[in-house]
Amino acid sequence: MSFCEGFVEADGFRIRYMEDGAGPPLVHLHGAGGLSLTPAHDMLARTHRVIAFEMPGFGESAENTRSSAMRDLASTMAAAAGALGVSSFDLLGSSFGGKVALWLAALHPAAVRALVLEGPAAIRQADSQPATGTPEEMARRLYAHPERMPLPADLPMNVKLKHRALVGRLRGPDRDAELEAVMAGLAMPVLVLFGTLDRMMPPEMGRHYKTLIPNCHLVFVYDAGHLIGVERPEAFTEVVADFLERREAFVISRRGTVLLP
Amino acid sequence: MKISYFETGRYIPPPDMPREWPVRSSACDTDAVSVALRGMEDRARFVERLGFDWVSLSEHHYSPRILTPSPTVSAAWLAGRTNRIKIALLGPIVPTSNPIRVAEEFAMLDALAPGRIVAGLLRGTTNEYLSYDLNADEARGRTDEAMELILRAWSEPEPFGWQGRYFQFRTVSIWPRRPTNGGYILGTSAEAGAFAARHRMGMGVSYGPFDVMARSTGYYRQQCAEHGWTPGPDDIVYRANMILGETDEQAEAILAGRDGQAPFPISGVLKDALIAADTSRNIAGVRQNANVGGVLPISFCGGPDRIVEQIKRCREVIGAGVLDLSLTDPGTGGLDAMMEALDLFGRTVLPRVRDI
Repeated sequence: MSFCEGFVEADGFRIRYMEDGAGPPLVHLHGAGGLSLTPAHDMLARTHRVIAFEMPGFGESAENTRSSAMRDLASTMAAAAGALGVSSFDLLGSSFGGKVALWLAALHPAAVRALVLEGPAAIRQADSQPATGTPEEMARRLYAHPERMPLPADLPMNVKLKHRALVGRLRGPDRDAELEAVMAGLAMPVLVLFGTLDRMMPPEMGRHYKTLIPNCHLVFVYDAGHLIGVERPEAFTEVVADFLERREAFVISRRGTVLLP
Repeated sequence: MKISYFETGRYIPPPDMPREWPVRSSACDTDAVSVALRGMEDRARFVERLGFDWVSLSEHHYSPRILTPSPTVSAAWLAGRTNRIKIALLGPIVPTSNPIRVAEEFAMLDALAPGRIVAGLLRGTTNEYLSYDLNADEARGRTDEAMELILRAWSEPEPFGWQGRYFQFRTVSIWPRRPTNGGYILGTSAEAGAFAARHRMGMGVSYGPFDVMARSTGYYRQQCAEHGWTPGPDDIVYRANMILGETDEQAEAILAGRDGQAPFPISGVLKDALIAADTSRNIAGVRQNANVGGVLPISFCGGPDRIVEQIKRCREVIGAGVLDLSLTDPGTGGLDAMMEALDLFGRTVLPRVRDI
């Protein structure tokens, strides 16, 4: 299997995406660093049609000055999925993309069957700032064990500045009362994942999602940092795929313990 | 200085019992075991009257040497039969345990004896892994992960799932809740020191010479400094054997007559294999083989005056503010001798080390 690049028109944007796999559609919205395929994408594509969008204003796309709020970007991404003929899908949002995903789920509840949030940045510690720095500095923020991981890509300066401007404009307050009010109305099953060693979004933030969202499952991924799907892809994929397959029933164990039949 | 009495069940084996591990179950005199275990109450109440601060318990299996395979059961028994003394579980062997069960049992004990339970978590040595069939190569990883999970179970206010390497739980939300997240990480390794420092927990070391244990507690203090805090004396526990006599000469005579063999040793090929299997054992990062089922050293020996000086030196060198003591080797000797030594310690040493 391998991901193929495609483009789709939505809301006047030409939106790049990577797609692979067959099965129930799973839409992924990336974090503030832009779209980067990980081993977890490959693993999820074994059971799902994975569509990983590059949101307008990220990567090589034109600067996005039209999305004035998260809800705008969320509706654009819903339109992008619709333009691919995907009217109903599971939705995975990572970090910054987690906040976009929450808005998408709130504004288009019929489209989102289940929502998975990986280290979401929708509720942040007071006075948090977007992470910037050299690849080495970013690795220390993003990974539990940077010494074991490849350095994050050092994006061209124009791309970094473009990302920074867009994220800075859309990220909103650390506690977004408007978003938190709509989170309380989400009816679909939601899975929230935090790495136990996340240095960008402390795992203690997870309890807020659990409190605010009615049908929310909080799972800590041991020994992972912010990029769970990169650092512990097997652990990430196992719980995400199980949740997407069985929804709330994923809490019922199917692991065997027979050693020798 | 706080003083702890290490309660080991004190089953006195008959002289003809095979000196081997495991000891066959058929050799167990169930009446004598019952007396020994129920006697924990008398001994705990005795040291409580003497002014001891803690009675401690540990987990060991398949021999009468230390007869507490479930320290939690022992703790619950003692909690209901003592009034003031703290009960220290030093501690459940974490890598062979279900971490949620450990978290729940400590929370229950805290509810049963509020403010009187001291929690210790440890990795244990490879001989302990024989009992519950644990691969020594996985012990470090299982311990680190399980301890993280136990602390998370004690502190997380909302139900959560755990996606680990060795443990997976979709739903965790323990009842009763534990009112505190404190406790001790037990071990001499760099990993134990770093973990304790990162979580603002105490550290417990055992049996090694003062200077060797000081390397471990020094590393721990260094790690604490890197995490922005300074541990106090109560944050460092030192478990040790002591021979206390009325005089130095009497204590030395007891030491000279001490059996140089462990009561129920693992020996030969199996001992060597267990040591070889434990590839990550270290003291503050320096490789060190474990004492696998062997005889444990005597750290303190003398009459009261000399013992007081040794305790002062222990405090200076190791930094320990809690001494967890055996005054007779577990699994050996008579009960009367130990009770006399405890009484002597309570009368002649304890009042003089209290303010160290």
